[in-house]
This record gives sequence, C-alpha cells and structure tokens, in this order.
Amino acid sequence: MALAFHRAHFAVPVACLLLVGCVLPLALLLVFSFFEVDLDAFTMVPAFSGQSWSQIFTNPVFVFLIGKAVVSGAGTAVLATFVGYPIAISMTRLPALWKGIASIVLLTPLYTGEIVRIYAWRVVLGSEGLINAVLQWFGLVDEPLKFLLFSPFTTHLVLLYNNLPFMVLAIWISAELIDKRLIEAARDLGARPLDAFLKVILPLTTPGLAVGAFTVFALAAGDMMTPSLLGGTSGATPMAMIDNLFGTAFDWPLASALALSLLVVLFAFAIGFATVLLRLNGARAVFRRGLK
Amino acid sequence: MMAGSGITRREVLAGIAAGTAAGMFGSLSSARAAISEMVWATWDSNGHPEYIAAFEARTGVKVKLSYLSSEDAQFAALKTGTASDWDMINPSLNGSWRYIKAGLLEEIDMGKIPNAAKMYDVFKTTPKVLDASGKHFAVPYLWGLNPIVYRKDRFESEPDYTTLFNEKYKGQLAMRDYALESIGIAGLVAGIPRDKVFLMETKELAEAKKLLIAQKPLLRTYWQTIGDLTNLFATGEVSCAFSWRVPYDALKDKLSMGMAKPKAGIMGWCDCFAMPATLSPEKTEIGYKFIDYLLGADFATQIAKIGNYATTSSIIRDSLSKEQQEAIFVDDMDVMKSFMWPVAPANYSEWLKVWNEVKAS
Repeated sequence: MALAFHRAHFAVPVACLLLVGCVLPLALLLVFSFFEVDLDAFTMVPAFSGQSWSQIFTNPVFVFLIGKAVVSGAGTAVLATFVGYPIAISMTRLPALWKGIASIVLLTPLYTGEIVRIYAWRVVLGSEGLINAVLQWFGLVDEPLKFLLFSPFTTHLVLLYNNLPFMVLAIWISAELIDKRLIEAARDLGARPLDAFLKVILPLTTPGLAVGAFTVFALAAGDMMTPSLLGGTSGATPMAMIDNLFGTAFDWPLASALALSLLVVLFAFAIGFATVLLRLNGARAVFRRGLK
Repeated sequence: MMAGSGITRREVLAGIAAGTAAGMFGSLSSARAAISEMVWATWDSNGHPEYIAAFEARTGVKVKLSYLSSEDAQFAALKTGTASDWDMINPSLNGSWRYIKAGLLEEIDMGKIPNAAKMYDVFKTTPKVLDASGKHFAVPYLWGLNPIVYRKDRFESEPDYTTLFNEKYKGQLAMRDYALESIGIAGLVAGIPRDKVFLMETKELAEAKKLLIAQKPLLRTYWQTIGDLTNLFATGEVSCAFSWRVPYDALKDKLSMGMAKPKAGIMGWCDCFAMPATLSPEKTEIGYKFIDYLLGADFATQIAKIGNYATTSSIIRDSLSKEQQEAIFVDDMDVMKSFMWPVAPANYSEWLKVWNEVKAS
C-alpha cells in the first residue's frame, strides 16, 4: 500500500507535465477551432461556430493534403522497413566493437541539421550534381535527369534517408533481445533459415518493427521542410498550410481545426499500423511475456 | 516611544515616509538614467551595427538589435504581449494596416521628424500608414523592388511576367511559394489592372488560378527563401524567377545575371518604422530621435553602400554616382509610377485557399 502510494506520488509531476505540455495545448486548439476571427480588430471571438470544421470536411484541398501526408508517411515507413530490417539484423551479428562503430555511422547524419542534409542532397541529385555528372561522363545519359531533384521521388528518398536510423535502431534493439538459443533450437528441430526467420526472428522483432514504423510514419508525415525544399511543385503539405493560416491569414480557428484533424488522422493510422504489426504471429503475447 | 529603543513612533513613521519617498524618486531617476539603450526589432539586413554607429555616438544611446524571423512572428509577438522590450518595430508597408487596426502602435507626430520633409512623395503621401481618421502610425523608411532575375545568356530579350508562363522555358522557371505575389502576378498576366490586382475577388481569383495551374508543370520549383533561390540560380537549376534582388547581387560577378523591371507593374517592398503603443514617454522621445536618424543622411549612406538599399528620403540621392543610384533604383524616378505594393487583402483566406488548390492540383 505504502509502495503504491509512493509510486502514485512520483506519478504526479509526470502527470502535471503531460497535462501542461500535451493536453492543455490540444484543448486550447480545440477551443480555438470553434472561434471566429474579427478581422477589424484582429482578435478571435468565442462564437462557438462550426464554420472551420465544416470547411475541413467540405474542402477537397484539406482532405487531399491530409491524405497525401498519410500516404507519404506510410510509404516512407514501408520503405524504411524493407531497407532498415536487413541492416538491423546484420548489425546484431557484428562483433561488439563493430556494433559500436556501426551505430555511430548510423547516427552521424542526425547530428547535422536538416537544412544541411537537404542542401547536400541537392548537390548530389541536381542537374549539375554528382549523379548526373557521373551518368553523363559514362555516356549513359545525354541530358541531366531532371526527376532526380524536385520530384516526389526526391522527397521520399530524403525522407527515407532522414528517418532510416530510427527504424534501424528500433529493430536492432528488439533483435538484440532475442534469446539466441531459440534460433538454435529452431535450427536443431530442422527449420530452414527462412523458416527460422519467419517463425522466430520476425515475430520476436515485431515490437521493434512497430515502434520503428510508428516513429518513421509520424516523422515523415509531419515533415514540412523536406517536401518544400526538395519536392518542387509537388511539395505542398498540410503543415505548410497550417503555417500560412496561423500567419498572414490570421485564421487561427481554421488552422486549429486543420491541425487537430491532421493529428487525429495520423494517430489513427499510426496506431492501426502498429496494432496490425503487433498481432502478427502472436507477437503481442511474446511482447507481453517479455515485459513481465 | 518604542520600547527599549529611544525612538518615538512619530520618528519611525517619518523615517518610513522619507524612505518611501526616497525610494520612489530614486526609482524614477534610475528609470530616466536607465534609458541609455533601446531595442530595435528589425530584419538583419536593415540593422547592421555599422548602420547605427553614428546614432549611438551622437546620442549615447545604445541600440540593441533584435532580429525578426518573419513579419507574422513580429505581429504575433506584439499581439500576445511577448515583445515588451521592443522600443521600435519594423512593420511592412503592406502589413501596417493590421497593426493599426489591432491598436498595437503609438501615434506618430510627423512634426517631430525634420528629415521627413525630404521623403519622396510616393512614400510621404501613402495612406497605408494612416488610420481611418488620417492619423499617422508608421512611416516608410526603406524600400526596394522585387524584379525578375534571369540568366542573360539564356534569354534573347528581357523577360516580363508572361515569360514566367511561357512553355518555351519549361523547367527553367521558379515562382515564390507565397500566395500574395504569385496570385498577383497571375492577375497581371490575366489582364487585371495593377491598382486592382490586390483587390481581386472570387471571379478574378478563379482566372488567376487557371493560369497558375497551367504554369505549374513549367516550373522547376517554388522557392522558399531568398537563399534557396540564390542557390538554385548558382547550381543552374533555375534561369528565370520572380525574385528579390539578392541572387543578382550575389551572382553577377560569376554568372551573366540580369534584372528585369516589368512594365505591367513592379512589385515593391517597403519597410516602415513604428513604435509600440505601450512605449513610455521617455522611450518615445528617444524613438523620435532614432526615427529622424533613420531618415537622415548617415543611415542612408551606410545602407546604400553596404546593403544596396535606398531609404525613402532623397537626402543623399544627388551626392551618389550614377552607378550607385542605379544600384539602388533611384537613377530613374519614373520607376515609381509603375510601383505596386502587395497588400494582404481582407479576403486573404480566399487567396490562400486558391494558392493551396494550385499547389495541391
């Protein structure tokens, strides 16, 4: 009883922090979304109006932009899974020293700012950039490949590059926790390498996969800078629109409604995605056992 | 008499009263003495320390610079009261009306600014800095033009706004990712007169939208910041763009750069100074001295020499060489006849909706 009281005691500051840092701003956004703007005095009026919400549901641009963010985030998460999984599993087989070196190599790009990475990619992918220069030098193309920069391809390549470390780290940690004797037992019982992977390694790394997918999805879907600076004319994002609405347009109610809609949709997709993964091959049960 | 002390109650009360009075006068005199500095919120390009060195030397007032990230951030900071240390702010001519309507600015007595007499008429008479009753709340002090910047070696003749919509230049063009200017340019191309462009309503906006959707496949990208666009010119991604002058200045010695001023209407930018409505009378006095300095010869000379910008005052124009005049657009004053000042209209949300529809198309 005393222990429980102590635990509850410690939970109070955390709960306060969550309340002030997360719940309160969201509650404010919800309240603002029912306001109207008086452009004569540049103030928000508590009108309890559903005008902003009705715009969100009836204007196809909002639906399109939110849908685009979901597809972009999910696409990046899937790509990161396919690229990151083999890297993470390979890292578990390295000697301890090399594991350290590999993790530093993996994390180094994150120490540079996003803008630096974006401009570095421009140097690599541009019309006069490294890849086009090499292709032209070998005579493989006559003209620079324009789609390498300012296209959805570029956006997703860089979103993948920026977010891959989060996926690899999550899977790697999960894979490191697997009891190697389980894999040996499977092999001893006659499982082929593919069977051992599908029936032992994959289910046991699913929690890491879910965490990685959740993280990459959220980061990619919410990224404004990469699509804006590398997506060319296809770089519109709901975040940029929210920024415009809060800024020059001074339409805080509509911006609040859009921000909340985006948050709800992204959360619904992210949780759905992670739930499906956790249900794969009874991984949830394994995960629960692991937590006990 | 207080127990055990030898001091009467009256003496104690008198002492407290004297102490309080001394404290009050002390704080007043220290408040006066403390005004040895002021904070100027402005753009980093307008507020180099060397621009204000002469003012500091002359008045002994240290000007602390607080650089702005965006005009929206400046407006929000004043509106929410988080900028209480700002003594002088920098609204744009386009956006001053918002600050005035929101009651954020101190009224300005033009009689206290002798150098205002030297301002060019177009700035002296602009109604954009007045409230409905004609009172002054901001004063234009720095201006420039947003031209079309282009690579001379890739264009046979000087481009105009229609060039930015020409199939022939597909893949070489860029527009700014900014609803006001981009829709305004499409309006001009659609034939809307320049004095009506920033008043476009639903029907005209639909025309502009059609043009912008047709333009989209021709563009290499929408540029975000002027550094971004300079980089695009430098790396050969873009040959022609509606721009600020920065890429021209930065690259003219390395590439064959040109700067076109379209006759259909030249987008101007203009920064104003204004004082927050909450400013104390002591700070306001120093503010007026600073305002006069910003319209004076020292500031104009420094900023023309270093920043290639002109002030709204003609005070140094005739002492500049032809080349220097050309660099800051004051060589031919007829240019002022084709000015247009982008102003966020009252239906700006509708403009924004159009712009997002274009970008999402």
